[in-house]
Amino acid sequence: MHQDKGHYDVVWPLGRSTETAIALNARFADSKAKRIGFLWDYIFRGEQMFPLIQAGLAEKFPGSTFVPHTAFGNIHGHDEREVLADLPRRLREEKLDAVVVGVGA
Amino acid sequence: MLRATKIAEAAGVPGVAIISSGFMQQAHATARAMGIPDASIAEYPGMIPMDTDDQLADKIWNKVLPSIVSSLSTDMPSTITQAVEPAPRDTIFSGTLAEVQEYFLDKEWSDGLPIAPPTLELVDAFLAWTDRDAQEVLGVLPPEFREATVWSVAVNGVMAGCRPEYMPVLLAVVEAIADPDFRLVDAGSTPGWEYLILVSGNIVAALDFNTEAGNMKMGRQANASIGRFLRMFVRNVAGFRPGGTDKGSIGFTFNVALAENEAAIDKLGWAPVREDLGFKPADNMVMVQSVIALSMPIYNGGTDPETLAWPLVRFMEGTAGPYAFTALVFSRWHPLIVMSPSVAEAFAGHGWGKREIRKYLFDNCKIDARSMEHYQLHVAGKEVPLAELVLRGSAPALYAESNDPKRMLPMLLREEWTTIVIAGDPGRNQSRIYINNHDQGPSVSKRIGLPRDWHARVAALRRKPRA
Repeated sequence: MHQDKGHYDVVWPLGRSTETAIALNARFADSKAKRIGFLWDYIFRGEQMFPLIQAGLAEKFPGSTFVPHTAFGNIHGHDEREVLADLPRRLREEKLDAVVVGVGA
Repeated sequence: MLRATKIAEAAGVPGVAIISSGFMQQAHATARAMGIPDASIAEYPGMIPMDTDDQLADKIWNKVLPSIVSSLSTDMPSTITQAVEPAPRDTIFSGTLAEVQEYFLDKEWSDGLPIAPPTLELVDAFLAWTDRDAQEVLGVLPPEFREATVWSVAVNGVMAGCRPEYMPVLLAVVEAIADPDFRLVDAGSTPGWEYLILVSGNIVAALDFNTEAGNMKMGRQANASIGRFLRMFVRNVAGFRPGGTDKGSIGFTFNVALAENEAAIDKLGWAPVREDLGFKPADNMVMVQSVIALSMPIYNGGTDPETLAWPLVRFMEGTAGPYAFTALVFSRWHPLIVMSPSVAEAFAGHGWGKREIRKYLFDNCKIDARSMEHYQLHVAGKEVPLAELVLRGSAPALYAESNDPKRMLPMLLREEWTTIVIAGDPGRNQSRIYINNHDQGPSVSKRIGLPRDWHARVAALRRKPRA
């Protein structure tokens, strides 16, 4: 430090990042039937949105099947930690091709 | 949303998150911070709670759905890059005081006020007040998932204007917010909550905290700089910055640290908060919780305990109001009362202690069912029956025992979740209530660890006696 000259050598106030960035999985290669799940935080009208989205996806990907949000639990409720911790297992168990996650507002 | 989306992608399942327009900036910032920079996001145009059913259907069908289909059908090139970051003792900038200020403002590493330049000499002075290794990791803090180390505590302590001897308190504060129970991950939520630090023990006198008149005002270095430290630490190490990852809609400024008046508690014969929470009398303790609202000044008068307590009930009801519904959604909330010694003495004179006050509040703070159910319309666009919360398992059964919308229901969830802290002007009969944000920032307490030679070193600190 050169405080006597009115200069300061300063250090970094952040901390080492531990986050490993992940790339997205490959998207659908065709319009064949898919198995799609819904995840919801039980707020911001997801219960109105999801049926509409499901209808639209069924049109776009004929023969698709859907897993409702109730199959996974509330992703932002009083038991959020448990629900999110169990999510990878549940997603694999349901053999999903994709999930729609709502609703951020 | 993005946490669940990342979990899905990490599990091999493509995910797309629905985010409303006002949250797109936060969503992209959070996605970058969380390590999923290319997250698929379908924008809901506008503000969900204020749209009619027809407007909502139109937006879903014509805007959100096409975006979801596109996101799930189109491979996008990855934008992942690996940044090289400085080592702790690296000099990252050299300049004059003014240049350092500009540099830190430009990097968003400042709270907007001038900072004390974190030089190695000053950081080492802070590290000398702990026996812990500088590189010890106290926790990994979301949303940027950076390591909170003893070193980074010292750096931000310097910047916030703390004194080196505050270091044991700063470490305990960071341990508290790093505790998973604190749910720091939600510190960027729209209520815009702030942190409240409580310090209890003989360290309060040793570090010269203000526990009396104006104790929650700026003006005393220990209270003010330790309060500022936490806000700065969360900004820099966790990564919550307003307008980006911090989506507090209006918010308010940081709280100075609250310190318990040990002498007043001794005089009352009451237990300090640390003993209420299971710590030993000789321990020093820090408790941290979120705050979203502060009551009016509450004057407690009267010659019987029920009359003394009546204003606490009314102002608890008025300050929290139907927000109590949100506490039921998350099954938690921790109000905190700062009570001046004179009010506590009056209660004690009638044989009441903290337990009796808490019970009175629990039994008498009520809100009508209709107000709570209706409130969710304003928060999220739709009323939610209390019976649904009971069904979800987040609210006790008594909230669904009747359909009468005028029935009065308890606001508080547990007696012991109300904290009573004796502090403030001994010369006035005033209390104030701090409302926390349900399970986001519940009260989390940690013992303050002191360095081996603490007492001798603190005794050697020269301080002018206060007038």
